[in-house]
Formats: sequence, C-alpha cells, structure tokens
Amino acid sequence: MAEKRKSLIKIKPKKYKDGEVVKVDFMVMHPMDTGMGKDKKTKEIIPAKYINSVKFNYNGKEITNMTVWESLSVNPVFTTNMKINGAGKLTVTFTDNTGEVHETSTKIKPKG
Amino acid sequence: MQRREFFKQLGAATAVAAVALPTMSFAADAKPSGPNKMSFETALNAITGGKTPVKSDKIKIKVPEIAENGAVVPVTATVDSPMTDSDYVKSIHILAGGNSNARCIDVNLTPANGKAMFSTRIKLGGTQEVSAVAVLSNGEVLIASQSVKVTIGGCG
Repeated sequence: MAEKRKSLIKIKPKKYKDGEVVKVDFMVMHPMDTGMGKDKKTKEIIPAKYINSVKFNYNGKEITNMTVWESLSVNPVFTTNMKINGAGKLTVTFTDNTGEVHETSTKIKPKG
Repeated sequence: MQRREFFKQLGAATAVAAVALPTMSFAADAKPSGPNKMSFETALNAITGGKTPVKSDKIKIKVPEIAENGAVVPVTATVDSPMTDSDYVKSIHILAGGNSNARCIDVNLTPANGKAMFSTRIKLGGTQEVSAVAVLSNGEVLIASQSVKVTIGGCG
C-alpha cells in the first residue's frame, strides 16, 4: 500500500485560548470500498477497503477513539470537540482493514 | 428490491451454514474479507448489552430529511452533557437501519472532549431511519432517530 494518503486536521476557530472547547475536523482521502461494489468496466467486485479505527491523541493522552464500519462515505470527515489544555501536539492515527496505518499531527498553540 | 431479497436469503443461508459447519465457514471467510452484515437489532444489542434505549430530548440527531445523493449524507449527533469526570458521555453510535451493515460508527469519548458532539458523512442504501445512540457514564442509554428519504442509493 504505497499509495500516498492525503489527510488534514482543521481546528475551528483558528485562534483559541487555553481552556476553550474547539471543533476538530479530521479529513482523509480514502476510497472506503464496501466490498459490494463492482468495477463498471471489468465487472469485477472491488475488494473491501475501509477505515477500521481512528484515534485522536493529544499530548500522549488518548481523547477519542472510533470504531468505523464500511458505511461511511468516500473521503470521510470526522468532527469532534476537544478541550484545549496547554500547548502540545494533536496526533490522529487511522488503520484500515487491509492493515494500512496512517498518522497526521498538528501543533496546538493556544493564545492568551 | 429483488437484489436485496437475494442478499437477505444469502445471508440467512450462510448463517445456517456457519452454525452447521463452523470449520468450513471459517475457511471460506478467511480469504475475502467480504461485507459485514449486521441488522439494526444485533447492532443495538451489541452496543447496549440488552438494555432498552430511552428516547430523550438530551440527544439530538441532525440529518437532512431528503437526501438527493445517498453516497454522502451528513449526520450530526449532539448530546446535552456537562462532560465532567463524574458525568460524561461514554460513546456515541450512529446506526443506519436499512443498510446491510447497520452499524456506521462507534465513537468513544472522554471528558477531555469538552462537548459531546460528533459529525460525519455516511452512505445510505435507500430510504430508511438513521439513529444516534448515546451511552452515558451512569449506564443510561439514549436514542434519537429520524427518517431520511433517499432519491439515489449510495451503496454498491
């Protein structure tokens, strides 16, 4: 699975203070094949490839973990809230059913 | 609809085979990781552990009533909770009763989230009811559901 995955973490609002509750968007480019669809040209069933689990880590502490099944859309978006608790790093890791692991991280810099 | 019936029967047949010949079915299952099948009741039981969920105003689900494209349906579930160490939402689950696998996503939250909200986009195979289930830290199970009319199915 050498295919490169694009993923992005967005924090809303962009400027935040310590102790504020912010929205965190995690977006990833992923096919999310259910294993039920067919290729239109070759008529072959596309093998299942979907995200199994997503984990949000903030300064080494797991804040949210998700178990995902195949009925999520192509290129899924996961939105949750997070309480800012000091500067640090937010890391999002996902695994898919074929064993692919991907990690993205962003810096958390509260102002004021 | 015929195709769906066929898959239902196929599922029933495999279930019978799985009971009768466990070793054979395991061997068959090992190679292609085929689509998971889970009915709404099984999924709900797995989440709640047999408890009956209570309909409540505390949990809100936001889904469009009419979805033109079943492949991308935005869903937002919000639970009214203080999210403190003693009183918080353990998990939010989104279920689509009409899909072959009703379970869409399980989100395990912690007090560090600050607010109990989750939003994503799901695929819907047809017109059906979408539910959000929340398990609270005191063991309460809340449910909210809304029916969605889908013009073009998004599965397959």
